[in-house]
Amino acid sequence: MRRQLRSELTKLTTTPTLAVVLVALVGLAALAVTLHAVGLSTSRLATRPDQRGIFIDVAINLGALFAALLGALSITAEIRSGTIRPTFLATPRRGTVIRAKALSVFAAGVLVGLVATGTVAGVGWVALDLRGLTIRLTASDYAQLLAGGALGGGLLAVVGLAIGTVLRAQVPSLVTLFAWLLFVENLLMDLPKVHRFVPGALAQALAGANRDGALHTPGLAAALLAAYTVVTLAAATAATSRRDVA
Amino acid sequence: MSDTPPVVAVEGLTKRYGGQAVVDDLTFTLDRGQITGFLGPNGAGKSTTLRILLGLASPSGGTAHVLGLPFAELADPAGTVGAVLESGDFHPARSGRDHLRVLALAAGIDPVRVDEALETVELTGMGRRPVRTYSLGMRQRLGLAAALLGDPRLLVLDEPINGLDPAGVHWLRAFLRTYADEGGTVLVSSHVLAEVTQTVDRVLIINRGRLVTDQPIGDFAQDGSLENTYLALTTAATA
Repeated sequence: MRRQLRSELTKLTTTPTLAVVLVALVGLAALAVTLHAVGLSTSRLATRPDQRGIFIDVAINLGALFAALLGALSITAEIRSGTIRPTFLATPRRGTVIRAKALSVFAAGVLVGLVATGTVAGVGWVALDLRGLTIRLTASDYAQLLAGGALGGGLLAVVGLAIGTVLRAQVPSLVTLFAWLLFVENLLMDLPKVHRFVPGALAQALAGANRDGALHTPGLAAALLAAYTVVTLAAATAATSRRDVA
Repeated sequence: MSDTPPVVAVEGLTKRYGGQAVVDDLTFTLDRGQITGFLGPNGAGKSTTLRILLGLASPSGGTAHVLGLPFAELADPAGTVGAVLESGDFHPARSGRDHLRVLALAAGIDPVRVDEALETVELTGMGRRPVRTYSLGMRQRLGLAAALLGDPRLLVLDEPINGLDPAGVHWLRAFLRTYADEGGTVLVSSHVLAEVTQTVDRVLIINRGRLVTDQPIGDFAQDGSLENTYLALTTAATA
C-alpha cells in the first residue's frame, strides 16, 4: 500500500494537471470574491455573518468543485491515456490502487481547499478594505474557514475519485460533478431541509456556514461527508474489481 | 518429469461478450526459453486472450495461469511478467523517465532499474522529455522498457513491431533471441508474418476464438508457406 501511495503521489506531481488546477482556482477565487466585494452594496457586506457567509460561499463552492474534479481526473485521465493498464499490471489488486488513489487525492484535495480558502480570505480582505469596510472576521473564523475548507476539499476529492471510477469516461464524470455541485445543489437551496445534507452544503458547514440550508454542527457535517466518502469509495472499489480493462 | 509448472498454461479458456464467444475453449502451454508467435486476424481473440492472461479481464470459463497461478495472485507480478499491450499507454505530458519511475515505485522495483531499462532500449537521451514528443517507435521502446523494469521471466508483447524502423525491428529481434536464449519466455502477437518467421520458435494461430494450429516454425519454410498456411486456416475456418 505504501508503495502504491508513493506511486500515486508521483503521478500527481509529474504532470502539469495539479499546478494548472491550482492556478485556475486562484484566478477564479480571486475574481469571484473581488466581484462580490465590489459588486454588492455595503449593507450586505458590513456585518460579520455577511462577510463570513460570502467568504465561505465563494471559497467552498470553488474549492469543492475543483477538489472533486481533481479526484475524478486522477482515474479518468489514466483510463483515457491507457496508463490504467500498466497501473493494474504493476498492481493487479485493484482495491489497493483505489485506496492509494483515495489517499493521494485526499492530500491533493486538502491542498485545493487550503488554496481556495486562503485566496478568498486574502484577496477578500484586501477588496473589502479597499472599499472602506472593516473586516469583522475573527482569527477563529479564519481558522475554521481554512481547516473546514481543507477537510471538505480532501473528502470531496475522494468523492470525485469514486464518481470517476464508476463512470470511467472523463467528460461524463466531469459533467456530472459540475451539474451536481453547481446546478442541482443550487436548485435544492429552495429546500433547505434537504439541501443541508448535500455534499457541497456539508463542506460549507465544515467551514462555518451559518445559514438556513446548512448544518450548524461542523462535527456532524464532517461525519456525514466522511460517510458519503466511504460509501461512494466502496461502490467504486466493487465496480472496478469486477470490470474488464480493455 | 519436472514439477515446475509451465511458464504459461491456458486451459479451456473461454470468454463471452453478450452471447458471443470471442475466445472459445483455447488450450496451450508455453515453456521456458521459447519465443512463441500468436497470430490471427483482427477480432480473432488474441488481445482478449492476452488481457485475461494478464488479469485485465476475467474469463467466462477455463483458466489462464502464469507459473501455475492467476496473474493477480503472483507474489511479484512485475518481476514475473512484462507486457506491452498498446503503443500509447502513456500520459502525454509525463516524461518517459517519470512514467517508469511511477511503475517502479508501485512494483517495489529498485529505482536504479529505471535508468538501466532506458539504456537497454536506447532512450536515455529522451528520458526527461514528455512522451508527446516521442515518435511511435520511441513509444514502443518505452513500453518495452516498462515491461523490462522488473527483469521478468515472461514477456507478453502485442504488436511490438508496429512503428519500429528496420533498425528497430532488427534490434528487437536480436533482443528477444538473447532474452529467450537466457531462459526467458516470450509470447508475441503480430500481423507481420515475414518478421514472425525470422523471430519465433513456434506459432499459434487463432481464428474466431479457437486455436487452429500450434506448430514449430521449422514446419514452415522461408518461402512464404507460413503466409499460405495462415490464410488457408483463417479463411477455411470462417467458411
